[in-house]
Amino acid sequence: MTPRTFALVALTLAACSRPDPNADGPTTTASGRTVIQNKGSDTLVNVAQAWAESYAEVEPNVAIAVTGGGSGTGISSMINGTVDIANASRKMKDKEIASAKDNGIDPVEHIVGHDALAIFLHPDNPMTEISISQLAAVYGEGGEIETWSQLGVTVPGCDSDEVIRVSRQNNSGTYAYFKKAVLGKTVEYKLGSRDMHGSKDVVDLVAHTPCAIGYSGLAYANDHVATPCVKATDDGACVAPEVATASDGTYPIARPLLMYTAGEPQGAVKTYMDWIQSDTGQCIILDKGYAPVRNVTCG
Amino acid sequence: MFEATARDHRNQRVQTSIRLGFLSMTLLLAAPVLIVLGALVYKGMPIISLDFLLGDPTHGMTQGGIFPALVGTVCIVVVALIASVPAGVAAAVYLSEYAPENWLTRAINLGILNLAGVPSIVHALFGVGAFVLFFGFGTSILAASLTLAVMTLPVVIVATKESLQAVPMAFREACWNMGATRWQTIRTVVLPNAVSGILTGVILEVSRTAGETAPIMFTGAAFFLPFLPQSVYDQTMAMSLHLFVISTQVPDVPEALPYGVALVLIGIVLVMNSISIAFRIWLRNRKKW
Repeated sequence: MTPRTFALVALTLAACSRPDPNADGPTTTASGRTVIQNKGSDTLVNVAQAWAESYAEVEPNVAIAVTGGGSGTGISSMINGTVDIANASRKMKDKEIASAKDNGIDPVEHIVGHDALAIFLHPDNPMTEISISQLAAVYGEGGEIETWSQLGVTVPGCDSDEVIRVSRQNNSGTYAYFKKAVLGKTVEYKLGSRDMHGSKDVVDLVAHTPCAIGYSGLAYANDHVATPCVKATDDGACVAPEVATASDGTYPIARPLLMYTAGEPQGAVKTYMDWIQSDTGQCIILDKGYAPVRNVTCG
Repeated sequence: MFEATARDHRNQRVQTSIRLGFLSMTLLLAAPVLIVLGALVYKGMPIISLDFLLGDPTHGMTQGGIFPALVGTVCIVVVALIASVPAGVAAAVYLSEYAPENWLTRAINLGILNLAGVPSIVHALFGVGAFVLFFGFGTSILAASLTLAVMTLPVVIVATKESLQAVPMAFREACWNMGATRWQTIRTVVLPNAVSGILTGVILEVSRTAGETAPIMFTGAAFFLPFLPQSVYDQTMAMSLHLFVISTQVPDVPEALPYGVALVLIGIVLVMNSISIAFRIWLRNRKKW
């Protein structure tokens, strides 16, 4: 080995001097740019990416490093103090909060939107309400409902009477959440559904198919499809899919989308969190197919 | 007397069919390479342009370019090479030139073989524990590169050891007989004659380092970070993770995009490898035996 190579090794080792771990907030790079570490939920990752992309234009000196991996990944990074903002589609468990506090971190929860799924029907379909158990019998493996007459309706234009199930491809977060919230964790989807690559495709297909039923993010509802209200139990109240009912938790197929910060947000993180709650930020989450935290008008 | 008998004909036929059999096996091996490359070029080529190579991803990563990921991958590979090649070559020199044949050497050799067999996701978790948390590098290029360096060390060590052992013993003996020390012999005779083999190891390492996804996912690569890294302590985007992400997690990605990214990834590996291949050819031409 030449002396030059030795010098390289020595340099590498010297460069490994322990830097300040960024538990105390966002790091600032040599060029003066602040980097906010944002990690977690795969459901939120595309929204987080869209926020980061737009925020780069608002605040060019702040870089948001977005990483997915799942809510668990984000929360454990929050506990370890390696992220500034953790994304989660579930609440932190008491045990997780306790271990964060053991590390001197006090996670603060922020609701940034809601993941609410609407059920879509053809506008000619007379059905105005559907229950979770009916949905499970339509979509779930072993479910008995195959025809519209079993659901008690005759759909004009649907001569075969067959329920055409429109679903999503199996790596979509929507697919996973519908399975968990409607079918239950251990039940698989019935085979033979039309699996679309995108929420918009689901709505388009349902709008053109009288026999069809589909599900997707509530933001994708439009005038060409009907959205029945959903009953949590067979004799419970029927709740219409709306931003308001998703936010107050009465709509049965909705969950809050959360961001956790270490302590109350400060400085650059606070500015970013405030921007997410602004109309601009909330219109981006709406555009990605989720319900905003409040009603916003977007261009 | 030398007229071909029935037995000769049969032998000839067996000979031919065996040769054809082996040939078809070889072609079968080449087929996947050609099909993969062909599909990538056919489907990915239309999207590749200067803007694609030098632009930032936009529109939720469904449009725009891949520059941050391109730079990130090159940085990760270079830092990993700086960390692992000197250490790997030093270890190989020790094992091949100095190490006595005893239980310790055998244990080290066994250790290297086992290191080569550890799945990359295990290296990833090791990297998180060791470099990200224990050494406090955070999720950074340094942590990702060191994780990859540990993972690819066996490649460098084994390639180097083999090329050192391919240098004829007579060369060393001649050198020792001139009164040279062991280190002088290694430095002036053994290593220069083994360099092309060492570079083969480096080529293999570059390919593996650039393509690995799991080890960098937790240690240094970001889903989205459209800024170039400023130092080894920064996080970065990387081609392999970018490819994974746009193929599985980002909705509405145009079909050509993942193919384009894959094609560029193979392109970087080829460019980095061709540098060491060129160097190797140059060295081989200087070789005097």
